[in-house]
Parts: sequence; C-alpha cells; structure tokens
Amino acid sequence: MSGTANAAAKTEMIDLTKLSPDQLMQIKQEFEQEMNNIQDSLSTLHGCKAKYAGSKDALEAFQPDWENRQILVPLTSSMYVPGRIKDLNNFIIDIGTGYYIEKDLDGSKDYFKRRVEYVQEQIEKIEKIHIQKTRFLNSVMSVLEMKQAAAVKLIQQQQQQQQTKQSA
Amino acid sequence: MDKNSAALYKKMQSEVESYQNLQKSCVKVVKQRALLESQLNENKCVLDELNLLGPDNKVYKLFGPVLVKQELEDSRQNVGKRIEYISKELKGSSDTLENMEKDMLKHREAVAKYQQQWQVAAAMK
Repeated sequence: MSGTANAAAKTEMIDLTKLSPDQLMQIKQEFEQEMNNIQDSLSTLHGCKAKYAGSKDALEAFQPDWENRQILVPLTSSMYVPGRIKDLNNFIIDIGTGYYIEKDLDGSKDYFKRRVEYVQEQIEKIEKIHIQKTRFLNSVMSVLEMKQAAAVKLIQQQQQQQQTKQSA
Repeated sequence: MDKNSAALYKKMQSEVESYQNLQKSCVKVVKQRALLESQLNENKCVLDELNLLGPDNKVYKLFGPVLVKQELEDSRQNVGKRIEYISKELKGSSDTLENMEKDMLKHREAVAKYQQQWQVAAAMK
C-alpha cells in the first residue's frame, strides 16, 4: 500500500498536460482499479461496523431482572431450543486470532462501543483517501478530454488544408 | 542484417518473458503481504484488548472446537511474540518486493533498449 501511495504522490508532482494520452489512459485505469479496491474495503468495513453495532444493541437490550428468564437459543438459523439465562453478568467475547475474553455486561458494552468507534475511524480515513483519489481522477479525465478535443481539431484542420490545396 | 534482427528479437522476447514471470510473482508477494498486514492488525487489536484487561478477567483460547483457559500474562506474551514474528515476515516480503521491482525495471529497460536497436536495424534496411 505504501508503494502505491508513494507512486501517487510522485505522479501528482508531474504536470498532467505534459503526458501523452496513452500515459493518461494508463494512469486512469490504475486509479480506477485502486478506487474499486477502496470501495471494496469500505463496504467490508461498513459490514464489520454493522456486526459490532448489532452485538452492542443485543447487549443494550439486556435487563438486570432477566435472571432465569426463558429464551430460545438458535442451533441453526431456523431451529431453536429453549434455555434459561443463568449468569447475567458474564459474556465471552471473541477478540480475534482465537482469543476469547470474559467480561461483565458493562465491560462488554464498552468493548463493542470501542470497536464501533475504531471501525468508524478507519472508514473516515479511507473515505478521505477516496475523495483525494476521486479529485485526481477527475483532473486526469479532464486533461484527457482536452487532449482528445485538441487532437480532433488538429485532424480537422489538416483535412481542411488538404481540401483547400486540392481545390486550388 | 536479417540474422542480427532475428537475434535481437529473440533477446527481446526472453527479456519480456522474464519480466512477465517477475510480474506474476510480484502479484503473489503483494497478496501475501496484504494477508500479513491484516494478521498484524488483528493481533495488534487483540494485544490492545488484552492490555486493557485486569487480573480478574478470564482469557480463553480456541483450540479446534474447545476453549482453553489461559493465563493473561501468557496470552499477552504469546500475542506479542506473534506480532514480532509477523512484523519480521512483513519486512522480509517488503524487501523481496523491492528487489523484484528493481529487477522488473532492469528488464523493462532492456526491452526498451532492444526495441530501439531493432527499430534502428529495421530502418537501416
């Protein structure tokens, strides 16, 4: 990632109007590829955030008088067995890489709150990069269009000159 | 002259081939690095979380289908070691990537050189 970022910084130093249309096309394609990657990461992050937020909401719904309350425990997505809440204040949370930790209700809520915030931070970081890249891509596109228009004009002029020569 | 340009063409082709091979392995290394980076991130998150825990929090590790209770200090050390290991791997793959990029540049320059020579030879005919 750092390599591509460096390359981007370098290309921004180059005067776009001095590049050939082929080079511009190449840059455009590279950037479009990068934009796609960024879009993918963004949607993954949004998915993660929704998962953490969902867990947090589930914890928020817990009431202190739910001891011994009957619940349905999902075995599969469509099959449940009845169960009772035995211990209201102990949750085991998967924190990644195979590690699980035991936390009380407030601690667990806090954990998910921090996770949601963390993911949100990452989303904002990536969105900033996304905006920068979009801007750059737009400038590449406009230069490319300018070049193409100029090329078309040049051809037309040449044709006109030939026609006037022929008629003369 | 004809023999000369044929030889040039052959050289050029072999350069292009090695360039393409390098490009393929480059993609592989980049993928591997992305995987390592995500693992590093995950481990860092876990370590952050473990560092926030007090002595009365219980820690478990998943081995296959069972959760095994762990000492907090042990887990911290284990995750710390893993972060060290992954960082080392990451550095290694970054170095390989750098070398590959250098090699790729060399091959690309060689291709451009042969292309030029070939054009010159064609123009002289």
